Amino acid sequence: MKLVVATNILKANDQLAAENRARFQDAGVFAVNVVGSPGCGKTTLLEALFGRLAGRLRPAVIEGDIAGSIDAERIEALGIPVVQINTDGACHLDATMIGSAVRQLDLSACDLLAIENVGNLVCTAGFDLGEQLRLVLLGITEGDDKVVKYPAIFQGSDALILTKADLLPHTNFRVERITADLRRLAPKALLFQVSARTGDGLGPLVEWLMGKLPKSVA
Amino acid sequence: MHELSIAEALIEQVQRELNRAGQRGPVKRLELCVGRLSGVHCSSLRFAFDLISPGTIVEGAKLEIAEAAAVCQCRGCGSRQTIDDLVVACPQCGSPEITIEEGRDLLLRGIELEE
Repeated sequence: MKLVVATNILKANDQLAAENRARFQDAGVFAVNVVGSPGCGKTTLLEALFGRLAGRLRPAVIEGDIAGSIDAERIEALGIPVVQINTDGACHLDATMIGSAVRQLDLSACDLLAIENVGNLVCTAGFDLGEQLRLVLLGITEGDDKVVKYPAIFQGSDALILTKADLLPHTNFRVERITADLRRLAPKALLFQVSARTGDGLGPLVEWLMGKLPKSVA
Repeated sequence: MHELSIAEALIEQVQRELNRAGQRGPVKRLELCVGRLSGVHCSSLRFAFDLISPGTIVEGAKLEIAEAAAVCQCRGCGSRQTIDDLVVACPQCGSPEITIEEGRDLLLRGIELEE
C-alpha cells in the first residue's frame, strides 16, 4: 500500500513558526531573527542598537549558541531580559526552540524581541522561527564574495548589514561588488553599513527598524 | 549537521501522515523530492537517515530521492532555463534580471507500507 502525499518535510517547523508569529503579533511583539557567521558582530550590534533604542522601546533577547552563555551574560549586563538556548551541537535554531524559550519571557513587557541565531550562514537559512524580520550580518573581514557563495541566507533576509565598516580602509572589501550581487540575487533586501564601535551608520538602521515596528510602539 | 535535523523532521512527518491515514506501518519505502537549491545534500541526508531510523517506524525503509532541477526565469530575454547552480545572470543572454523559480523544494511525496 502506498500513501501519496506532497508535504514539505519542514512543514512541522513551518507550522510552529506560524504559531510563534501569531503569538508575537497578539502580544504586540516585533520579532527579528539575526543571522550571520560566528564573529560577524551579532551581539555587538545588538548591544549598540539597544543603546540607541533605550527609552524608545522595551527589548528582549533570545540567544542561540551551541554552548555557553557568554552572549546572554552580555545582554543581561544591559538589564535586558534574555533567554539562552544551547543547541547542543545543532547548527541553527528552529521554531520549537523559540516556542519554549518564549515561555520564559514576559511578552507583555516587550516590544522588540531580537533572536540571535547560531553563527552560521548555511543552515539558519532553512528554518523559519516565526520572526517578522530577518537581518543577515556580514563583517567586512569576511570578504565581499559571500552573497554569491551563500545566496540562500541573503535571499531570505530583509536586510544585509555590513558590520565593522570602520575596517573598510584596511581591507580589499568592495562595497560596490556586494551591492551589485545583492541587487541581483536578493533584490528585495536593503543594505546597511555600520560600525558598532564608532557608531557610524547606526542611525539609519535604527530609524528603519523603528519604521517597521507597529505604530503603537514607534 | 543540517541534514540530521531534516532527517528527524522527515521521520516525524512520516509518523504524522501515518496517523492521519490510520496506518501503523512498517514503512517499506519513502519517496522524496529534493530540489537542487534546497541546501540539502542527498548523501548526507541518507547518512543521517540511516543513523537515526533504527527503532523508528521507518527502520529499514528504502529512501528514494528524486532530485528536482532548478529553474530560472529571465526578465531580459524571457527564457526559462534549467540551471545547475545558483546563477547570478541568465545563462542565455547574460541579463542579471533573473528570478529563480524552482529548485528549493524539500518534499515527502510518497510512503509505501509493507502489505
